[in-house]
Amino acid sequence: MTNSPNQVDRAQDAGTAITLTNCAKTFADGTRALMPFDLSINAGETLVLLGPSGCGKTTILRMIAGLEFADAGGAIHFGEDDVTRQSIEQRRVGMVFQSYALFPNMTVAENVAYGLKVQKVAKAERDQRVREMLEMMHIDMLADRRVDQLSGGQRQRVALARAIAPRPRVLLLDEPLTALDAKLRVRLRTEINALLRKLGITAIYVTHDQEEAMALGDRIVVMQKGEIAQIGTPQEIYRAPKTPFVADFVGASNCLKVDIASGRALLGRVDVDVSCAWNANTGTDGLSEIYFRADGLAFCSADDAHFTATVEAVSYLGEKLRVTVAGIGDDAVMVDADPDSVVTLGETVHCRLVPEKLTVFAAN
Amino acid sequence: MRRTGIFYAQLCLTILLCLFIVIPIVMSALAGVTVNVFQGLSSGLTLRWIFEVWDLYASSIFLSLWLAIACLFVTLIAGVPLAYVLVRKPGRATRLFEELLTLPVAIPGLALALALLITYGGVSGYRSSWLFILTGHVLFTLPFMVRSVAAVMSAMDMKTLEEGAASLGAGFWRRFFTVIVPNAKPGILAGALMVVTLSVGEFNLTWMLHTPLTKTLPVGLADAYASMRLEIGSAYTLIFFVLIMPLLIAMQILANRGSKPARATAEDK
Repeated sequence: MTNSPNQVDRAQDAGTAITLTNCAKTFADGTRALMPFDLSINAGETLVLLGPSGCGKTTILRMIAGLEFADAGGAIHFGEDDVTRQSIEQRRVGMVFQSYALFPNMTVAENVAYGLKVQKVAKAERDQRVREMLEMMHIDMLADRRVDQLSGGQRQRVALARAIAPRPRVLLLDEPLTALDAKLRVRLRTEINALLRKLGITAIYVTHDQEEAMALGDRIVVMQKGEIAQIGTPQEIYRAPKTPFVADFVGASNCLKVDIASGRALLGRVDVDVSCAWNANTGTDGLSEIYFRADGLAFCSADDAHFTATVEAVSYLGEKLRVTVAGIGDDAVMVDADPDSVVTLGETVHCRLVPEKLTVFAAN
Repeated sequence: MRRTGIFYAQLCLTILLCLFIVIPIVMSALAGVTVNVFQGLSSGLTLRWIFEVWDLYASSIFLSLWLAIACLFVTLIAGVPLAYVLVRKPGRATRLFEELLTLPVAIPGLALALALLITYGGVSGYRSSWLFILTGHVLFTLPFMVRSVAAVMSAMDMKTLEEGAASLGAGFWRRFFTVIVPNAKPGILAGALMVVTLSVGEFNLTWMLHTPLTKTLPVGLADAYASMRLEIGSAYTLIFFVLIMPLLIAMQILANRGSKPARATAEDK
């Protein structure tokens, strides 16, 4: 790889746009990991690839990294450069792995300096840059530690510093927080978010955690079985999921089957206008499925109720009470209630749907 | 704690067993420095036999050391990359290759030597040089090096480590020498000590392959036992012992260090 000054300068700019054209991936054993797709990532944007395991999100990341190659016919561009046939060493990407992948034979500072050494950055500048990186990640006091003396959170900070130090064109993060405990995960997530905004680097972040995706992504790509189910801002994905799969994956996991005529449906024993739940993506007359989160259903007095149901389970979550009730649809439904209210098992409750918080899909 | 009769019985048994093993070693060592072993220690102690062994067999001892170093060199160059391939590309072919590699350990050394003699015995320059013995030693010790290195390599997540290094721009050789080899060091060290120890002590193969001019330390030892007085044979053993003991102790220390659990990680503040 040549390191013309011009190239280094460009890396310091806001970031590199990435375009994947007609990319598909079939593994050697014939399994189709990814159906052909196009995807463009804006310069400086943080794009989150979200989906359950086996949906192909990591394969996309590895294709961008150069660790997997797209099937014939696919093309990947970093800005103007065609990198389709380039190996990972030539692509100048920064990578952060779930398992950290720090070099155990080196100290923290040596790990961070590795990419700079490869780029033949002069020692004085290298030391300077390593120091800056360590300070930025708040691990400057760990510079001379061996990596096996670090905790998981510290290791991931080192991994981030190491990936960013050589000023990559794109930062690729493969479930970087999955191996950490919940509290640390949230804290590091916030830090990563601030870091990505500050650097203005193009970043691609793979996760199966929708909360993480919402918190970090400028845009989210929801993946399902090797295909892109929806691309949109966190608000779009959350408020207007395109398919039942996306709705379910971002938390609206309660489902009711109803028949809609002229925008109205019979909910339990009441005829309700549900057309306000239609959005740009979905909703029409006919046999439909209504998806909603635990806040889409509310307890109420018997007079206002759409449904009468039986309490099957109650869990106290601190800020709310999560109640599972049976008798509304085919499956049990989860409802949030005031944490101070008293709900007993087997109790008969009255509840109504909140039309603005529903998402309606045509049933197939 | 009150010690019971059983404790003392066990202690006695242990001490007896230890003596059973240690006494012959001590006797042999003493015989090497006794003026006349048939008269016993009363004949006095001497270093004469040691010097005599040195005069007679110094070349064998040096040849053995040279062979061990050469053998180590070859097994390092061949064994470390071999172990890498075996771990990195698991499959039926590599499994088969590993079996083939291990075969020389399972086959009696004499048979292996015979095969070498039948195949290459006619190549006179090769047959009579130390390289012929080296070939046998490499065949015999290579699997130990490969196994030892492969064990360490498969315990580390080589694939991800390499991907990490590659993402930072490092090409294959750079990754190999700056990440893979340094992290496989415990295995390489243990394998190296094993190879040197085995090479220095190897007798079966070497005895078949040697010529009067390419006699190694153990072959010379057999020679001394067969044709010299007992004191010389014993003095020879003493020298062998002094050579091999540090290697064995170093191996033990390395093995202990390797089996220690990883240090507990610091808590996040």
